[in-house]
Amino acid sequence: MSELRVPTLNRVLLSGRLTRDPELRYTPNGSAVCNFSLAVNRRHKDQSGRWQDDTTFINVVAWQAIAENVNKYLHKGSPVMVEGRLESRSWETETGQKRTVIEIRADSVRFLEKSETSQDSAPEAD
Amino acid sequence: MPDLKLAELNRVFLIGRLTKDPEVRQTSNGTPVTNFSIAINRKYKSASGELKEDTTFVGIVAWQKLAELCQQFLAKGRAVLVEGKMQNRSWETEDGQKRSTLEIRADRIEFLDREPRAAGTSGPSPDSGSPEGQPSGPEVSPDKSDDDLPF
Repeated sequence: MSELRVPTLNRVLLSGRLTRDPELRYTPNGSAVCNFSLAVNRRHKDQSGRWQDDTTFINVVAWQAIAENVNKYLHKGSPVMVEGRLESRSWETETGQKRTVIEIRADSVRFLEKSETSQDSAPEAD
Repeated sequence: MPDLKLAELNRVFLIGRLTKDPEVRQTSNGTPVTNFSIAINRKYKSASGELKEDTTFVGIVAWQKLAELCQQFLAKGRAVLVEGKMQNRSWETEDGQKRSTLEIRADRIEFLDREPRAAGTSGPSPDSGSPEGQPSGPEVSPDKSDDDLPF
């Protein structure tokens, strides 16, 4: 039997609502980047049998055509399904401390709100 | 037609290598929990066609029996498949600042290194010192890794 190598696997699937309007900007070489934050809810029973909601807040970054479409069609409260991968980003604060954030780099953002004006989903460009 | 509700979807699948040995601690009510990080490597071609590599570090938290099995069978450098969900964790720094990060709460961790000790075969592990050293159970299935292969 041949030996295996460790494959790359980094997949995230989420559905939630935008916590604020998306922010679009352009990198110096003209690429569109859009950052938004998702509230992902989970309903579960606690130990005493009562239903509890808990919410996870997750930052998402989208590029290029997806970024443009997110900015054009989505706003605070919009429901979406996001598929992508986890990325960590590090930087130094003014006081020299190292900080790291984890965010999702979206490969696909599906718009879940029914509407005549908006399209169903963003192009699935990478 | 009835209205739809938003599907609850929060699922993460990762393969990476541990950046340090996992350590189990107990919460105040005695529940075992472990935190560790994995490094996920990715190779890609840059715009100019160069082959590049980057690494993403992700924090993992596992509870109960799964936490104990991680401590027993994993070490720095070992490869794992982690399935779970994303959750926020908040804490206060020594100078009172609030910080928050995202981590993965693991539902399942599969040990990918094929070794006699971690292979999950029958019989007690030679150096675990416990007859329960066998990593069986619903959460962890190190001996099923072949099932995940497409051929």
